[in-house]
Amino acid sequence: MLRKTILQPTNMPIVETQRLRREFQAKKKVITALEDIDLQVEESVVFGLLGPNGAGKTTLIRILSTLLLPTSGKATVAGFDVAKEPEKIRPLINMASGAERAGYDFITARGNLWFFSQLYGVDSSVANRSIETLSAALRLENYLDSKLYTLSTGYRQRLTIARSLINDPRVVFLDEPTIGLDVMTAKSIREFLVSQAKDQKRTIFIATHNMAETEAICDRVAIIDSGRIVACDSPASLKKNFGAPATVMEVSPPLQSLQAISSVRGVKGATSAIDADRGVARLKLIVDDEGAVKAVGAIVESSGSKVLQSWMQEPSLEEVFISLIGRGFAERESEDAN
Amino acid sequence: MKTLRAIVASAWVGWEREIGWTNPVAGILVRTAPITAAVLTAAMVYWFGSSRVGVFSPERLAFVIVGSSLYAHVGAYAWLPTSAIAEGKWSNVFTHVYITSTSSIPYLFGRGVAAFLSSVPMAVFSLVAAYFFAQGLLGSAPAMTASPASILMLLGALIVDFPAAMGLGFILASHAIIVGKFEWALPTYIAGVLMIFSEALFPASVLPWPLSLIAEALPFTYFIRASRAALIYGSWDLYVSAMVYALPSSLVLLFLGLMVFKWGEKKGRQKGLIDRKVG
Amino acid sequence: MYARAWVRVKSVYDEPLWLLVNIGFPLFTSTGMALLYRSAGLASFSGFAILGGIMMAFWGNVLWGMASQFYWDKQVGIFDIYLVSPASITAILVGMSIGGIFSTAPSAVITAILGWLLFTPPIAPSWLAVILVFTITLISLYAVGMLLSSLYLAYGREGEAVNEALSEPVTMLSGLYFPTLGSTSPFPLALQAVISLIPLTIGMDALRRTVFYSEDLGSIASSLAVLTAMTLVLIFSASRALKILEERGRKEGTLSVRLR
Repeated sequence: MLRKTILQPTNMPIVETQRLRREFQAKKKVITALEDIDLQVEESVVFGLLGPNGAGKTTLIRILSTLLLPTSGKATVAGFDVAKEPEKIRPLINMASGAERAGYDFITARGNLWFFSQLYGVDSSVANRSIETLSAALRLENYLDSKLYTLSTGYRQRLTIARSLINDPRVVFLDEPTIGLDVMTAKSIREFLVSQAKDQKRTIFIATHNMAETEAICDRVAIIDSGRIVACDSPASLKKNFGAPATVMEVSPPLQSLQAISSVRGVKGATSAIDADRGVARLKLIVDDEGAVKAVGAIVESSGSKVLQSWMQEPSLEEVFISLIGRGFAERESEDAN
Repeated sequence: MKTLRAIVASAWVGWEREIGWTNPVAGILVRTAPITAAVLTAAMVYWFGSSRVGVFSPERLAFVIVGSSLYAHVGAYAWLPTSAIAEGKWSNVFTHVYITSTSSIPYLFGRGVAAFLSSVPMAVFSLVAAYFFAQGLLGSAPAMTASPASILMLLGALIVDFPAAMGLGFILASHAIIVGKFEWALPTYIAGVLMIFSEALFPASVLPWPLSLIAEALPFTYFIRASRAALIYGSWDLYVSAMVYALPSSLVLLFLGLMVFKWGEKKGRQKGLIDRKVG
Repeated sequence: MYARAWVRVKSVYDEPLWLLVNIGFPLFTSTGMALLYRSAGLASFSGFAILGGIMMAFWGNVLWGMASQFYWDKQVGIFDIYLVSPASITAILVGMSIGGIFSTAPSAVITAILGWLLFTPPIAPSWLAVILVFTITLISLYAVGMLLSSLYLAYGREGEAVNEALSEPVTMLSGLYFPTLGSTSPFPLALQAVISLIPLTIGMDALRRTVFYSEDLGSIASSLAVLTAMTLVLIFSASRALKILEERGRKEGTLSVRLR
C-alpha cells in the first residue's frame, strides 16, 4: 500500500489539541462550541468522541480535518498544525459522515472512488487495486458498477467508508459512521473499522452519540459535553473510575419532569427513557446514598405515578455520562434545544 | 503530476456531467437550441432596427451573431466553478474535495476544462446554425468567412480566453463559498454586465463615456474582437492587436481570480462555510 | 389556493435579496437589447426591449417558479401532502400562479421604471386596452405554466432540461424583443401561424400595438378573444392532465416516489 513508505510509527500522538477553542457568531451572541479542549490520540487506535447532539463533536472533527479554523488554541495532526499547515495534513487524513451522501449520483460507485483517489494523486493502478480490496472488505463488489443513486442507504454508507480510506490515510475522522443503519450492517462496519486500526495501523477517530458502539470498539473514549471534554480514558477505566451501578425504576405513567428527582440529596444523576408502547418510563438513577432511592420512590408516588419494578444495573458508559454530567443524553439535548 | 491527475479526474467527472444524457440527440438539442435562439434573437433585433432606418449591413449582422455566440460560450463555462460549488454543497462533495491533498482549485479547473471542451462544439454549432437561420429568414447572409486560417485564429482566441473565463469563474466561486444561498445572484449580474460591456452585441462606442472604458478594459472584449477579426474581417492585424491585449489581461484575470478564490476559501474556513449544508 | 399563493409571495417578500436576484436577468437583457436597437440606429424602439424585459420576468417565473415546481415539491415530499389534502391540485396551481404574479411584479415594475429612466422610449398607450391585454396575457402565461407543471410531473427531472431548452426559443419566437407577427416580422407566414399558438406571441403583439401605437380595444379585440380562448383551453388541459397523471401515478405507485 502507498502509505508504507511514509508511515513510521512514532511516540508522538497522531492527533493532539491544546486549549482548543472555537466560537461561532450567531446574530447578536457568541456561541462557544469548543472550550479548552486538550486531547492526545495515539496511533493505530479506535478513538471515540462521545457526547450528545450539539456537544461539539462535529466541530472538533471539522477543525481536525482542516475544514474549520480554531478561534484559539492549537491542534496538530501527525505533528502538523491544522491552522498553518493544512496542505501537509490533508494527504494523511480523510473523513466521512454517516449522515450524508458524499458522491456524484451520475457516476458509478467505482467512478466515485477512482475520482477521489485521483484528487489524492494516487496512481490509477494502485487506486484500482484499493477499490477492489476495500469493496471486498466492505462487501460492495456487486454494486461497484451501479450509479450512486441506485444504492440503498447501507451500501451508500459502505461506499462512504470506502471513500474515506481510498488514500490510505493515517487518520480517518468518522462522524456517526453507523447512523441510520440496521443492526447487522452497523456491526459489520464496526468490525471493519476495528480491523483497519489493528491490521492497517490506522487511527480511527469516531464522533458518535452511540454509547454501545463506543463501548464495543473504542480503545479510548473522550466524553464531551457543552464543548468541554469531561473525561478521557479507556471504556473500562472510565467505568471503573466514574461509573456506578445504576438503579433502574420502571415508572407508569411517565413523569413530566426530572427536576424534583435530580434535586434529591444523594442523587448524582438521573435520566429517563419512555417506552411509549407500554406507557412506562425507565428511570435510571446514579446515587451515592441508598436512602436517595427511597426518596425518589416517594416523589414518584406523590406525583401520581407508580414504580412498577426496580433493579440494579452494572455500569456502562451511559452511567458514566450520567454520573459525570448529572443527566443523560436525552436531557442534555432537550436542555440545549430550549 | 498529482495536480494533473486531479485535473484529469475532475475533467472526467465534468464531462460525465456535461454529456451524461440518456438520449444524446436530446442532450445536444437542449444545449444548442437555447444558444442558437438567443443569438438569433439578437440578430433579429438588429435586423428589425437597422432595416427600419435603412442601415442594415450584413457585416454588422455577422458582428452580432459572432459576438452573441461567443458571449454565450463564455457564459457556458465561466459559471462552472459556481455551479460546481453550489452543487457540491448540496451533494456534500465539495467538503470532501476541499480536504483532499490537491484541494479545490485543480478540481474546479478540471471541471472548467470539461465545460470548455463541451461548450466549444456547441458554440460552433450555434454559430453555424444562426448563420443559416439568419440567411434563410432574412434573405441576407451574415458577412462571415470560414477558412482553415480563420478557424485556427478562432481556436487561438478561444484558448486565450479560457484563463480569463476561469479567472472570472474563480472570483464567482469565492462568492459561492461565502454565501449560503443565491449563489446565482452575482453570476446573473456579471452575465448582464458582460452582455453590455464585452461588445457581445454592439460596439463599445455605443456606451457613453466613461462606461465605454469598462468595455475597453475587459479581456472578453478583446477575445470577441479577435474572433470577429478571424471570422468577419479576415484581418491578421486586427487579430494580433486584439490578442496582444487579450493574452496578458486574460492571465492577469486568472491570477486575480485565484487570489480571490484563495481568500474566499480562507474566509470560508474561518467562518465554517466550506461544509455548510444547503438544500 | 390562498395558502399556496401566500407561501409564494411570503417567501419572496421576506427575502428582499430575492427581488434583487429576480431583477438582474430581465433588466440586463432588456438594457442590452435596448442598446442594440440604439446601435442599429433605432433608439426609439428601445421601448420594445423594455417591454420584453418586463414580460421576460414573468416568463422566467412561469418556467422556473411554476413549471418545475411540482417536480421540486415531489422531491421534498410536499407533493404527497398536496395529494392527501382535501384541496384540489388545480386550486394549488392557481394559488401558485397568483403568488407568482405578485412575487414577480416588483421585478417587472423596477425593470419598467429603470428602463424608462435610462432610455425614455416614446410611448403612446391606450391605457384601458393595455391593462386588459396585459392582464389576459399574464393569465394565459400562467396557464401555460400550469400545463407545463403537470407535464413536468410526468417527466420529472427532464422537466428542468425542457425549461432550459424552452426558455430562449420561446423568447425568440414569441417576439419578446422584436415583432414576430405581421408585415414587419422576419418570419414567413407559415411560421407566424405556428408561433401564434403560443399565447405570449399574441399577447406581446397586442401589447406592442397598444403601448406604442395607441391601438384601442376595438382593433385588438380579435387578439383578446384568441388569448381568452387559449387561456381557457390551457387551464382545462392542465386540469385534465393533472387528473390523468394522478390516476396513473396512483395505479403505478409512482406519485410519491422521489426522482433522482
